[in-house]
Amino acid sequence: MKPGTKLKSAVCNTEVMVIRSGDGQIECGGAPMAEAKAEGAGEPAADHASGTLMGKRYVDAAGTVELLCIKPGKGSLSLGGVALTVKDAKSLPASD
Amino acid sequence: MAPGTARPVAIPLAGWAQRQLDALALTTRSRPIAELSAAALLGERAALNGFTVPGAVSAGGGCRLYPTRDGALALALPRADDRALLPALFGDPAAEHDDEAQLAARIARARAHDLVPVGRLLGLPIARLNERAASPAASLATIGLPAENVSDQPLVIDLSALWAGPLAARLLGLAGANVVKVESLSRPDAMREGDAALYARLNDGKASVALNLRKPDGRNALIALIRRARVVIEAARPRALAQLGVDADALVREVPGLAWITITGHGTRGDAGNWIGLGDDCGVAGGLSGALLRATGTLGFVGDAMADPLTGIVAANQAATMLARGHAGRMVVSMSGVVRSALAAERRRDPLALTQALRDWAAARGQPFGAAPC
Repeated sequence: MKPGTKLKSAVCNTEVMVIRSGDGQIECGGAPMAEAKAEGAGEPAADHASGTLMGKRYVDAAGTVELLCIKPGKGSLSLGGVALTVKDAKSLPASD
Repeated sequence: MAPGTARPVAIPLAGWAQRQLDALALTTRSRPIAELSAAALLGERAALNGFTVPGAVSAGGGCRLYPTRDGALALALPRADDRALLPALFGDPAAEHDDEAQLAARIARARAHDLVPVGRLLGLPIARLNERAASPAASLATIGLPAENVSDQPLVIDLSALWAGPLAARLLGLAGANVVKVESLSRPDAMREGDAALYARLNDGKASVALNLRKPDGRNALIALIRRARVVIEAARPRALAQLGVDADALVREVPGLAWITITGHGTRGDAGNWIGLGDDCGVAGGLSGALLRATGTLGFVGDAMADPLTGIVAANQAATMLARGHAGRMVVSMSGVVRSALAAERRRDPLALTQALRDWAAARGQPFGAAPC
């Protein structure tokens, strides 16, 4: 998937931008994410409902996928069923 | 002028900044403030570091102006992993490995109107030359409870970092306030290491406290400090404060006489509340480089991270005015909005003088600037 692609959750308000992607299905709330908003409203699966935080970058353990949350929601992000984790924020250096 | 004496390079908008400083001296009846020179504040970092009048690379070197198909843009990549965002910015995985020339060529083929919104989503400091205003210089977001008493030595909690916020708190300290700088143990002020001399200048005379804001004890200590304060200065994006469990608006409604100054790149309204802004790109967003281009036909930065010191002075003025009147509330100050309003005021006052100041600035390219502090 092309970097810069925006993906929407099928089951909550979450939207992400793809920073990096490899193989595997990107999901939110346990359901596949897509460029178009899914018809009808589902609910995040109970085990994928810890929510997304605006502006956070999410990665998998192997570092193949990186997603930036550009709209938060109730579902949590996963790759092929395995939860993604928040990448530690890097503070701004003093150089302008 | 004696032969061999170079005339100091004048920074455009220094006159406007001096009038803000004069107003602050009047409000606070402070002799140390009355003795300050705005030109020295605007050129403080440049003088400490020997910076020269910049062209399309900012005085500090961190931000660059790039021509695009539809006008120039300013972009900084301040963090090590910002380059990892370039593929998403351009929609091309190869962009991560661009050298500077390849990056410039890639930007030249693109449109600023396309890149800037995506860059802002990605959290990059990026701005177009001729933007519409995202926010006013200062706006009252929440009204608080009137002060119950007047304090001669009000407590100021400085939660901010880098340049604008610490300068505002330093000015209030010079005017007699008791300033406590509070840092998070996990994210200390990057200026400490980034520019130790400027850090010392901005934070001299403040008490310093480091708290673990990831732990309830640390957060409770911070809230307790804020409840005793008359002024809070912070520059966190809205979500960062919320994620720490600090509810600025609730505190403003509970603590009588609390003036809460939120310093932002581009205000807090809508999407702009999440945009990153540093001193040089906010100067561009506020119209400085566009004005320079119209006045001189050249692409360049004006001043050194100009939005930072201008905003520091404006934020101190806002806080001092609220203190003097016993007003309380949350005042949102926007760095790009401050630059835009300063430019507009100078244009109204004397458009020819502004154009001449910009021409003199461009003609001094390569010369050292920033008066030695008096």
